[in-house]
Formats: sequence, C-alpha cells, structure tokens
Amino acid sequence: MTNLEVPKELREEAKAHDMYLHPIDKDTYELFFGPQHMATENFSIILKMDGSRVEKAIVNPGFLHRGFEKLAEQRPYFTNIALLLRICVPESDVPENIYSMAVDEIVGWEVPERAQWIRTVVLEMARMSAWMFWIMGFGNEIGLYTAGQWAAAYRERFMRLFEELTGGRVYHIYTVPGGVRRDIPGDKWLRQLRDTVEYLKGKLKDFDEILFDNYITFERTEGVGVMDKRFALKHAVTGPNLRAVGVPYDVRKDDPYLLYPELEFEVPVLREGDSLARVLVRRYEMEQDLYILEQLLDMGPPSGPYMVKDARLKALPRFKPPKGDAYAHVESTKGDFGAYVVSDGTHKPYRVHIRGPSQSHGVTVLEELLKGARLADVPVILKTLDNCPPDIDR
Amino acid sequence: MDMNEKPKVGEKIEDQKPQEVPEVEAPKLPDTKEGKLVAEVLEKAPYAEGNVRRERRVEFKVPADRIKEFLELASEKFEMLIQISVVDWLKEGEFELVYQLWSVSESVHAFVRTRIPRENAKMPTVMDIWPVAETYEREAHEFFGIVFEGNPRLGPFILEPREYEKHPFRKDFNTLGYVKTIYGEDFDRYDESKTNYVI
Repeated sequence: MTNLEVPKELREEAKAHDMYLHPIDKDTYELFFGPQHMATENFSIILKMDGSRVEKAIVNPGFLHRGFEKLAEQRPYFTNIALLLRICVPESDVPENIYSMAVDEIVGWEVPERAQWIRTVVLEMARMSAWMFWIMGFGNEIGLYTAGQWAAAYRERFMRLFEELTGGRVYHIYTVPGGVRRDIPGDKWLRQLRDTVEYLKGKLKDFDEILFDNYITFERTEGVGVMDKRFALKHAVTGPNLRAVGVPYDVRKDDPYLLYPELEFEVPVLREGDSLARVLVRRYEMEQDLYILEQLLDMGPPSGPYMVKDARLKALPRFKPPKGDAYAHVESTKGDFGAYVVSDGTHKPYRVHIRGPSQSHGVTVLEELLKGARLADVPVILKTLDNCPPDIDR
Repeated sequence: MDMNEKPKVGEKIEDQKPQEVPEVEAPKLPDTKEGKLVAEVLEKAPYAEGNVRRERRVEFKVPADRIKEFLELASEKFEMLIQISVVDWLKEGEFELVYQLWSVSESVHAFVRTRIPRENAKMPTVMDIWPVAETYEREAHEFFGIVFEGNPRLGPFILEPREYEKHPFRKDFNTLGYVKTIYGEDFDRYDESKTNYVI
C-alpha cells in the first residue's frame, strides 16, 4: 500500500533532525520491543516484522548489567551475599544458596541439620513466591488481570513470613556459608507458614478456574512457540521448559542437595513442548512445592545449631578458605541455577561465575521461537519461557 | 587394581605389560558410575587427563589444540553445555577455560579445563556441537577478549559501546581508574586520602 510511505515533507523534516523514517520496504519494518514494554522486564528485543508476523528477532540485553561478578571479586566472601542475591529478584534466595553451597564445598563444611532444614524451607518458600510472581506477569500478558492481582496478594503472605524470618521482604541476606544467619523465630512462625500452605492449596483450585483451565489461556498458548526435545537439549534449556518437552530433569532429583533426598515429590513431565505445556508444568509444580512444604513442616526443625562451629568465623572480613573451586546448582523456577566459585586462598573470591538459566532460553532459544510468531504472541512466548533478564546481564 | 601388585603365579608377564600402560595415566579411578564414565571417555581420548572429584563431579584436563575434538567426543555422553567459565590467571599469563557439561542420562557434571596464553587468545568455537555456546562465547569474548574462531556474532552484547573492547573482567583492568575517567567530577564520593576502598 502506497499510503504506508512517509510523505516527502515529513521525511525532509525528520532528516533535519537526524531521523530516518523510511520503512525497509512496503511491508517490512523494524520494531523495538522493550525495554520499556511491561512484558519484557527491562529487556529489549529488536523485531524485524513482516506485517504482523515476526521475520527475525535479535535479543538486545544489557539494560540491567551491574557487573556483579566483577564486584564479587573485590569484596570479602561474606559480603558478597548481599550483592549476589540481587541477580534474580523474584527468588533472591537462590543466588544466596548456590554461592553458599559452593563456598561450603571449597571450605569442606558440613552444614548442620537444622540449617539444612531451614535452607530447604526457605528455597521452597522462594519457589512458591516466585510462582506467584510469574502468575502475576503471565496473567497480565493474556489479559486475565484478576489472576495476577490475586497472585500478588498471596505472594504478600510469603513476604510477611520472610520479613519475620530474615528481616527483609525481598532481599533476605539470610543464607550464608556455613549455615543461616539466625534461627527461626519460633512455633508461631511455623504455624503461620502451615496456615499459608493450607490456604494456598485451596486457592490453587481458584487459579485453575480463572487461569489454568480457562478458554482464553488455551486459545492463546496452544501450539505457540513449540520446541522439540533435541533442540531443547542442544540449547541447554532447563527447568519447567525442559520438562515440557519430555525430559524429566530436575536438579532436586538428579543432583540432590540439602534435604531433598528425604522428601517425596514428583517431577511433572509433558511432551508437547508448546506454551500450554510449559504453563501446565508450572501449575503441577506449584502443587508439588506445597506438598514439599507440608512434608517439611510435618518433619519439624531438627534440634542443634544453625551455623557451623568454626574459629575462622570470628574474624569474618579476613575469613580465608583454602585454594580450590566448586560448582553448586539448585532448581529454581526458571531452571538450573548454578554458581562456579574459584578461590586462590585469599580473603576474596578469585572468580565467581553465575549460571543463570535465562542465559540459554532467553537468548538463542527465544530468537528461534519468535521466528514466524504473531506480534501478539511475542509476550506470551516470553512469559511462558519465564525469562529473567538479570540472569543474562548479571 | 593395585599397581604394585605382583603378577600371580601362572600368568605370563608379557600379557600384563600392555595392560599396565593405561593405568599409569589414570592411576586411581574409583569403581563407581563416575569412574567408569571417565575411563570410557579417556579410552577414546588418550591425550586428556581425567579424574573423579566426588560423587557426580568429574574433571578433565585437555590441551587447548584438541579441545574441540574432545568436546565432540564428550557430547555423546554429556548432552548439555551448562556454561563456559573463564578464569584469568594473571601471574601465569594464561586464561583457563572451563567448559561445564551436564549429562542428563548419567546425572554427572563434568569440568573440562584447558589453558591458553593471554596474549592473542584464540579458541575454536563449539557452536556446531551445542548451539547455545554462541551466547557463552559472546560473553567470554566481550569480557575477556578471547576470539572464538567461527562464531559469527562476536560483537557488542551486554556492555555499552564505551566499555566495549576494554574487556573489564581481565584482572589487569583498572576499575577505579575507569570509573574516575568516566564519571570525573561526578564521582565526588571518592577521596584520595582514603586507602581502604574496595573497588
């Protein structure tokens, strides 16, 4: 259509202001999606569009880069906790835990049982609140705002529990090498946690009605952004995205840490590999997480110290682990989250390398899946992959 | 098997000699899932060194010129490339590249280590084995300046244009000097008389 072309006067005026308003050809144009778009969370994708179809997508990260890994090389071991947890905001306990686990392995500390129990509870609570955060984003993406608002309200319950436990709502600075920073507040807190778990178990049925079993969700996600098993493995996709293509890989089962070997839970697997499968896998995992929390509460916190007994812990800034390196990873809601820590025997880590799960499914996989998608499906694919931009930038 | 074990009576000494040679290269591989996996890989790649660190963690050391050959071989057992970590050993003048692999079928994590000189650091790309390597190599190129030959997208990725080509994750990058030149007078919290700054 000829009326798509920019009028000559306007083009001249634009040129005077250093702007070029020409479309590439009649129907093709470039569209900058994000970082200001709500769906992308400070992430930018440059889309080459043909009408309303995406012809090519180029991921453009870097809007969040804060150089955490470089800063971590210049601070003592225990100070780094307050820094690294800012990598993934919805579940800030995961970076704390992987870093602590890697340092524990370098030093050779066996974390006390009570600390292990608390760490497991904290990780599962973080997973639950991150699921709520994800529902908030995904519900908003497909226009089911009520689900999002409910989820935000239920997340608040976990935030309150976290505040009582750690003193912080979003950033907890709680898990440290050797254990946790302080003990659980008491039986009242445990009762409150059990109440919350019971409450959410009932509310999952409401979420089914409004979101997961909803005609709109099925219409928007079925057959969108399909990937197959081989593609997913070659691209190192992990977490619910990998389980949605039929690979039952879960770090909690395959490389057990903390108390997970003693717990009973299932790893949900679907085979379709489209956005709907990814959404439903997450729905089943929420149920499993609540089940795990219930088991942990039934088990009760074991007695004993919540921190290892070590003379080196008395002078924290000068704490020196021996030379060596370690890799530790946990299952987060985004996937396999890992930390590689290298120690050269001084009081600062020589190198910290964080493996964010979005590094694999947020760059190459996203670019591949967006090819040929409709413009309206771009946020749906982004949200069902559960891309966390700070994982990529760090 | 103990290396110092004497040949039993009735066995021919000539028969045992060729068996002893691989045992010198891999002296103590435990009789576990991990030990068997390492032995299997090392059988096909005698130029590499391998050992078992602990349960579900194994380690290989490979010379830099044969890394691609080795990873292609290892990719049969290890389906996923989890990440490529680079460590800058400034005093030794070397970059250490750690290819971290995960085997979904065996549940084993492998570190594949190799060292290259810091000057004019070059590596072959492993994009054709694991396409995800593209992202990791772009990052390693931007932050450390390692050139991965064959990767078409080694360009600006995360950093801003003024930081590009500076390779800020190298140990000889002067962070404080960079901050002072960029922010100049705006950087008013910096005090020359203080010496205990962490950056």
